[in-house]
Amino acid sequence: MKLKNIKISTILIYLTFIVIAVIVFGPLLITFFAAFKTSLEYAKDFSWKLPSGLYLDNFVTVFKEGKMVLGFKNSMILVIFTILINTVLASMVAYILARFEFKFKKLFMFVFLLGMLVPSFVTEIARFGLIKSFGAYNTIAAPIIIYAGTDLMQIYIYRQFINAIPISLDQSARMDGCSYFGIYRRIIMPNIIPAIATLAILKMVEIINDMYIPYLYMPAERLRTLTTALMSFAGSKSGIFVELSAGVVLVMLPTLLIYLFFSKYILKGVVAGAVKE
Amino acid sequence: MKDYAEKRLLIILFLVIPSILLSLFVVYPTIRLLQLSFTNWNGLSNNMDFIGLKNYIKIFTDSPKVWLSLKNNGIYFTVHLLAIPLEIFIAFLLSSKIRGSRFFETVTFLPYIVNGVAISYMFSMLYSTQGGTINQILSVFNIPAVKWLSDPNLVNFSLTGVTLWRFCGMHIILFLAAIKSVPGDILEAAEIDGASLFQQYIRIILPNIRLVVEIVLFLNVRGALQVFDVPFVMTGGGPGHASSTFTLHTIETAFTFNHFGLASAMATVLMLLIIMISYVQQLLMGGKEQ
Repeated sequence: MKLKNIKISTILIYLTFIVIAVIVFGPLLITFFAAFKTSLEYAKDFSWKLPSGLYLDNFVTVFKEGKMVLGFKNSMILVIFTILINTVLASMVAYILARFEFKFKKLFMFVFLLGMLVPSFVTEIARFGLIKSFGAYNTIAAPIIIYAGTDLMQIYIYRQFINAIPISLDQSARMDGCSYFGIYRRIIMPNIIPAIATLAILKMVEIINDMYIPYLYMPAERLRTLTTALMSFAGSKSGIFVELSAGVVLVMLPTLLIYLFFSKYILKGVVAGAVKE
Repeated sequence: MKDYAEKRLLIILFLVIPSILLSLFVVYPTIRLLQLSFTNWNGLSNNMDFIGLKNYIKIFTDSPKVWLSLKNNGIYFTVHLLAIPLEIFIAFLLSSKIRGSRFFETVTFLPYIVNGVAISYMFSMLYSTQGGTINQILSVFNIPAVKWLSDPNLVNFSLTGVTLWRFCGMHIILFLAAIKSVPGDILEAAEIDGASLFQQYIRIILPNIRLVVEIVLFLNVRGALQVFDVPFVMTGGGPGHASSTFTLHTIETAFTFNHFGLASAMATVLMLLIIMISYVQQLLMGGKEQ
């Protein structure tokens, strides 16, 4: 009886796994296949049929007309600057919140919490005027300031990591004459490198995939990111599914590759962000 | 004394830039939003008139599109809410120590990291009435083609299908993490006592992951009320206004029609809705637990 029970549940589990895999990979594979088909082939065959050969013209078109290289470059600029600024600022705040007591600490933490509750999509209406008055509208600085200045979840995660570092390390360094800044640089920073890696990867994915902020603040053609480049490419290619598919595949590729190599970090970061809020 | 001064300097130095950024980009816009919601600002001119509650009155009495949009948000909210028990159950299955479960964990989460705009185009093609895969599958079973994105009664459910594809995996991973934190010996003891998989799920897993359930419920409210990119890319809110969402309509009101005052009032309503629904959910969860 017991044995039979285990068997049924095992089968049920694997069945679920297979269904999940089909649901996840099915749409991706079909799009991938379409990217290598000619329009004629796409119209004629079922879409789950393998392409007849390695037809690459769709990708050539995307590169030529889709401004994907430019998009990639701009996305990378956003990623690098945001992550640099973000890591420094968030870890500094987290260090202060984890190790020091001061007058307005409660208020400070309340404001950070508030930031997580405010729906970011709609506050953009008010933020928009602000960015414009700085003259940052339609420059690459606009998304960087917004990404770097408003990410609050990170502070909480860094703080958890800093809390896990024994405070006796701080104290003995202090006894040896180390300044508080020195403690931050020599003790805190090296100890939160795993957290930095995790959060940087997550942030990278988030920025590459974001459409809303670049769409709103950087309408200029030379400021296209991967995502907004895909949008304008798709706008000019409506109905030509094979070329659009190639564009979609190209834009999906960077984050998929990141995930392929760093899935462990990403999963850990997402879980840490939510579960220990 | 020197120590105190150094501490103080460091606290000030380390907090000053983040404080400025936070005040400028989170606190100020929130206050500004409230303020604008009582004006008729058009987003361009320097002067704006204080018009009291007129924007709010307009939203509640004279804005059928707002309510239509909100109803559509309701569809996302409800469908995702209904999916939660299934998500928990799948997480429970994934938590079993079985060959390959790690791999499937990775697969399950994968849609969440894929570019949302690319996903939207991908599904636009899959749903297409011209050689779209889904209708091709139906045709194999001799089922006539369905207008997934152009039928006003169906379009929101088609779009919800896309957001399900995108977000369920992430929820499953969150639940999975919670389930893994349930002490293994409790489950083992239950199994020895002859509890079935389903009984374990209801009696042990569910009560033990309450916190994460609350978090996912909150994410769902936030997510469902703020759905933007999927309908924006796939239908632009169409056909007509059939698949518009609250955020889509708000953004359109502000940036297309330059009614920033009215849009700010809508945004404020949205914020209040998120807070209210989250609060009610929390109450309900708390009630169930006692």
